[in-house]
Amino acid sequence: MLKKINLKNKTALVTGAGKGLGKACAIALAEAGAKVIILSRTKSDLDKVSKIIRKTKGSSKSFVCDVTQLEEFKKILQKITRLDILVNNAGNNRPEHFTKVKKENMEYLTNLNMKAAFNVAQLCSQKMVKAKNRKKIGGSIIHMSSQLGRVGCEGRNVYNMNKFGVEGLARGMAVELAEYNIRVNTVCPTFVETPMVKKFFKNKKFKNQMLKNIPLGRVAKESDVATAVAFLAADSSEMITGTSLVVDGGWTAQ
Amino acid sequence: MGIFLKDISLKGKTALITGATKGLGRGAAEAIAEAGGNIIAIGRNQSELNSLGKKIKKLKVKYTSFNCDVNNYDKIKNFITNLKKLDILVNNAGTNIPENFLNVKKTSLETLLNVNTKAVFNIAQLCANQIIKLKRKQGSIINISSIFGLVAGQKRTVYSMTKFGVEGLTKGMALDLAKYNIRVNSVCPNIVLTPRTKKYFSDKKYNKYVKESTPINKVVTISDVATSITFLASEASSMITGTSIIIDGGWTAK
Repeated sequence: MLKKINLKNKTALVTGAGKGLGKACAIALAEAGAKVIILSRTKSDLDKVSKIIRKTKGSSKSFVCDVTQLEEFKKILQKITRLDILVNNAGNNRPEHFTKVKKENMEYLTNLNMKAAFNVAQLCSQKMVKAKNRKKIGGSIIHMSSQLGRVGCEGRNVYNMNKFGVEGLARGMAVELAEYNIRVNTVCPTFVETPMVKKFFKNKKFKNQMLKNIPLGRVAKESDVATAVAFLAADSSEMITGTSLVVDGGWTAQ
Repeated sequence: MGIFLKDISLKGKTALITGATKGLGRGAAEAIAEAGGNIIAIGRNQSELNSLGKKIKKLKVKYTSFNCDVNNYDKIKNFITNLKKLDILVNNAGTNIPENFLNVKKTSLETLLNVNTKAVFNIAQLCANQIIKLKRKQGSIINISSIFGLVAGQKRTVYSMTKFGVEGLTKGMALDLAKYNIRVNSVCPNIVLTPRTKKYFSDKKYNKYVKESTPINKVVTISDVATSITFLASEASSMITGTSIIIDGGWTAK
């Protein structure tokens, strides 16, 4: 009755895998038995992640890549023979009050969080549908969204716009890719203790204010999110598509 | 347990399951036992409670059964308030009487409200109080909802009313119980093939309706739902509360 989170014989690609959630997802997927392809702009970060995966007897291959550079990403995909899982994770945030958002920040975030997310998902899907046994073995695409893909938050208007967009993209993709048995879902975490969030939390007032919004009274751990991603990647969730796994300690239940 | 991948293990935990003799409840009991959890099964059919017990005991976990109608508040209260161990509730007992809105009988309405709403509330409240009284440092309550807790379906007005209610209850409970570290979530399956729904599927028109409504070309199995329930019951989902796992092959993504 119980389906385990087992990814043996699966190949997973993780973008933004050098740090934070991407790193945690890559390691978790490797722990579940997947061969993991990790992408990041920073080689030294990739080397560190590869080392951890090797230590846990996992398998990984790494590529230096800026996912906003479409041609760069295409070339890497050409070198990959097989792909079953995509963790579309690369993303960033630059919090600013709506009236003060700088044009270059809006464009930077939208290019990365939406445009690159779309392109990476499309190219990977095209690769995945080509596998002859796809319908039988299925595939899984997990977009890294956010609780801010479901509710608003001060200073997060661009990020809100981007992540609500990703939520829409996931649903549209799910409907169209269902015929290939490729499932598409998002994970919506609350604030997670990642290098990105640690920067925001240097502001103690902000940290306390955010913690007040999380009924469970704690921020999420990287492993909370990585485990949810692994659950969605595996056959443990084989009838789950076009939806979101909300890992927010109750933030959006209010 | 890995660095980032948390195990769906329920060793040493005790789960109470209502409606445990058939369908989703039985599946949940078996899956939780496979994950190492001890089982308290509530149902109305003694021979089925016994046959479930045989199966559960083979998995080397403890099994207790209680023959009781969930509408019998006093009997249920007496049972739950005397439990020595309780960590997990699978609030599953529920029913459906599909009728066109204009022809819904008063007795059908009352039956559904009694089982799907009032008994669900009462049992959740009794179990939450007991988990707190036993000073367990954590708990997980899983309410069995449905896609009809999120969208409407043909001849499902009363069922939708009760299941939308369960969705609201889930979020409200999650907030009130967060300070006790008791997480509350729901699972929303598509129409699962169970003893109760078998008769719906034998209707060709209905079969076609379900197939056409589900982008992934499969029927949700009991094990699909049981696996999600076990995930929510375990520490693998320790930051997930006040939300729903939708297991519908994309039905509600459209």
